[in-house]
Amino acid sequence: METYPLLEKEKLKELYRKMLEIRRFEDTVFELFGKNLIPGTIHLYAGEEAVAVGVCANLRKDDYITSTHRGHGHCIAKGAQLKRIMAEIFGKKTGYCKGKGGSMHIADFSVGMLGATAVVGAGIPIATGAGLSIKLRGTDQAAACFFGDGASNQGTFHEGINLAATWSLPVIYVCENNLYAMGTSQSAVMRIKDVADRASSYGIPGVTVDGNDVLAVYNAANEAIKRARAGKGPTLLECKTYRRRGHSRFDPATYRPEEEAEAWLKRDPLPRFRTQLLETAALTLEEITRVEEAVSAAVEAAVQFAMESPYPTPEEALDDVYA
Amino acid sequence: MSTLEADAMREITYCDALREALREEMLRDDRVFLLGEDVGKHWHGAFKVSRGLAEEFGEERVRDTPISESAIVGAAIGAAITGMRPIAEIMFGDLSTLAMDQIANQAAKIRYMFGGQTAVPMVVRMPFGAGASVAAHHSQSLEAWFMHVPGLLVAVPSTPYDAKGLLKTAIRNDNPVMFFEHKLLYGMKGSVPEDEYLVPFGEADVKRSGKDVTIVATLFMVHKALAAAEALAKDGVSVEVIDPRTLTPLDTETIVNSVKKTGRVVIVTEGCRTAGVGAEVAAILAEEAIDYLDAPIKRVAEPDTPIPFSPVLENFVIPDEKKIIKAVKDVL
Amino acid sequence: MVTKILMPRLSLTMATGLVSTWYKKEGDAVVKGEPLVEVDTEKVVYDVESPADGVLQKIVASEGEEVPVAGVLGLVTVEDEVLPEGAVTPEASAPPRERVLASPAAKRLAREHDIDLTALTATVSGRITAEDVQRYLSQAKAVPKVKEIMPLTSIQKVAAERVSASYRGTPHCTMTMEVNMSNAIKRSKTSSVSYTALLAKLVATALTEHPLMNSTFNGNQIKVFEEVNMGVAVATEKGLVVPVMHNADEKSLQDVSSTLRNLVQRARQGKLVKEDMSGGTFTITNLGMFGVDTFTPIINPPEAAILGVGRIVEKPVVVEGKITIEPMAQLSLSFDHRIVDGAPAASFLSRVKELLENALRGG
Repeated sequence: METYPLLEKEKLKELYRKMLEIRRFEDTVFELFGKNLIPGTIHLYAGEEAVAVGVCANLRKDDYITSTHRGHGHCIAKGAQLKRIMAEIFGKKTGYCKGKGGSMHIADFSVGMLGATAVVGAGIPIATGAGLSIKLRGTDQAAACFFGDGASNQGTFHEGINLAATWSLPVIYVCENNLYAMGTSQSAVMRIKDVADRASSYGIPGVTVDGNDVLAVYNAANEAIKRARAGKGPTLLECKTYRRRGHSRFDPATYRPEEEAEAWLKRDPLPRFRTQLLETAALTLEEITRVEEAVSAAVEAAVQFAMESPYPTPEEALDDVYA
Repeated sequence: MSTLEADAMREITYCDALREALREEMLRDDRVFLLGEDVGKHWHGAFKVSRGLAEEFGEERVRDTPISESAIVGAAIGAAITGMRPIAEIMFGDLSTLAMDQIANQAAKIRYMFGGQTAVPMVVRMPFGAGASVAAHHSQSLEAWFMHVPGLLVAVPSTPYDAKGLLKTAIRNDNPVMFFEHKLLYGMKGSVPEDEYLVPFGEADVKRSGKDVTIVATLFMVHKALAAAEALAKDGVSVEVIDPRTLTPLDTETIVNSVKKTGRVVIVTEGCRTAGVGAEVAAILAEEAIDYLDAPIKRVAEPDTPIPFSPVLENFVIPDEKKIIKAVKDVL
Repeated sequence: MVTKILMPRLSLTMATGLVSTWYKKEGDAVVKGEPLVEVDTEKVVYDVESPADGVLQKIVASEGEEVPVAGVLGLVTVEDEVLPEGAVTPEASAPPRERVLASPAAKRLAREHDIDLTALTATVSGRITAEDVQRYLSQAKAVPKVKEIMPLTSIQKVAAERVSASYRGTPHCTMTMEVNMSNAIKRSKTSSVSYTALLAKLVATALTEHPLMNSTFNGNQIKVFEEVNMGVAVATEKGLVVPVMHNADEKSLQDVSSTLRNLVQRARQGKLVKEDMSGGTFTITNLGMFGVDTFTPIINPPEAAILGVGRIVEKPVVVEGKITIEPMAQLSLSFDHRIVDGAPAASFLSRVKELLENALRGG
């Protein structure tokens, strides 16, 4: 068991709180979806919390992230409000996108969350553009681009990262490798084991970490972001992780071998980090319990807010097409 | 002000007019920058529109990119939603297909699907159009595709005056603008004032007034329509030529009013006939001006084929003066 | 077995007939020859009889429907049997409505100005254009607004066709003559006959003396009729009809009177049959009861002449050098100028006048 003496107690608590927020939020969404309170479909981030939280804990409010169809966790990690995320998932007027985006398209520009795109890989060149903007404006901001292993086979992965590498843009490309592109395992569509190997094609560092270890992710991202802010260009950070559930709400994930799923669930980032915090005496049980109670209350409040919020008027469908 | 009525102005080419627009807006606003394949100091763009700009503004603001259309447009989007006003050049309009997701799913929809939280102030400039014997991958007119995507604006300048005024407006506009530059127009000269001006979006220009037939034409076809109108005038037929100048927004009022006056209309555009620009204009007229029509609405457009290479074949498919005259006579 | 009840052709020109009343309802037993349905056609109201014994299985054309000649009105079956598929398909259909080829702009203008586009011709192209309508409008500046459109009854349609044909095809000449009616009034009273009956009798007499007035113009010949069949115009709710009194010259005044009374009554009830309305050789039209003094009647083709009668009005007249008050009426004779000139027509009219003024004698 590694220890991370460099992190202060409050930071550790914050990491745990954020991860737990995501977990409780996603479990609640799963439950509400089952009660038919949420339209459409949902792609849950449960199981991958350490990635978003480990990366975003290194970002400032004025830094940027881009996200994917599996984006609730990114929003929460970057500091978006639970209640407005939940309201959006419900299709309510008080949601971040006034009910126009839904689960797959949440954005909160006020915290630098540039939005979730549901086209796999489409956010990669956009993150590159955010990095370009930072460079042209001459600030010390950074951008983090989240995408999955599936997206790393898109042309935009190549085009977007190559361009950022060429121009030394302050972007970190975070590949959340959960081993499956929907139902297709990585080994069925790639000859390499580590997506990070592809970094060498662009002449940038490629780092693979245990994506279920929040401190490992935190440290790797910390280094990559420092590099980015220093004008040394992008990093490809691959975080190996695993979905707790299927691709979407409708997917029982029967294509995943039982032993594999079992092994990964044993490495669930949340209990793992909790144990770690207790064992290293970073936090007391009482402190952890208090966090857990606070998170439960926050998620409950978010649900209540979403339920009580009004739907948009139908004619609002016509607004916001043009600026 | 109509280009054709303008006098006492200097004559410059369409290409120079566009360059002036880029330069003026880059001087005016630090957030404006160019990116694209070979737009920099080594080539200055495939049609030399950005000549001298890299030299004047530096390589940071006039950026040569890899041959990565998705990344060019995607990077423009990312920059646009974080405070910049990028101008992306796609070397040929045909290649916009390579960036179609970024244009149609991202640039066009980001504002809407995020509930109006951001605008996407960017321009995608695209040389395009047939008539240069460069065959099926460098000759298409795809404006209609982009008209079909809510969230995009579509500008189609036909003269140096309109090119400069519309490009300046496009750069200052907060929406993604698809800016179509017909490759045969780059060398065309026209009057452009020394003083600064803008051409607003959604205001069609009556390039020639008439009373018997309305021709709605865009881009290079405006000039063929004007030539046809001149020839028809000798036969006593008075033709009004309307240039919409932007397809989104489309100035339906000017078109409808002209047709209410003449009762007859021919729509002349490059691009395949089926589901083309002409089809949309015809549908609008059917909805809003049917009770004023004295003859069927006629479209002159390219047949539903790719653009062929050999000049003999290519000239056959591109609308020309003769086809326009015939269409006008058909509706008289 | 299914037998169709068809719309009969009741005249040479008949195209359609109107179903006015069904006497039987579906399912009723019917006997061959029994009247089933009343049909209003041109000037005739006609009872269509059952074509077979059996049951009125189906009424195909309901009351108020216009059915073309030979169109199916209904079906009679021997027993209460199930109808075969397609049994009710009409054999003839109404002619399609005329479609005017006009541009939308022309149609809009026509709508706005209540113009019937069938009245216009296309000049610019194959279709009527706004320009054509504008031209038409400038020619007929003030087109009055239409308040309502009343379709013509079949009687009106026939009357309209006949009147136009007569007016266009026959060179009319009308002459008038004033008649002292004092004796005619006395005679009418003593014999208890109407002025019209008296007039019909006396005109019939005059016609036997002036056979050219009882003839018809037929291309390059004049056919003089042997019979004097006197038509008398009768106004009814559905329009003007002219029942005919056959061989009026051979009838006594009382016969004429009773025949006429019967005809007029049936005309007003719409009960005239075909024979009642055909074969006329001369027509009398009396508008005196409407306060008309004089008018120019239109000849009822193919006849040679028509006599119009105005109202009787007391006037000062000079009789044997003295002014006296006498009941006077105007007679207007319209005649086919191809058959007779003014002089023989005047001679006939004089004879009628003479007979009326001496009406106490004879008859």
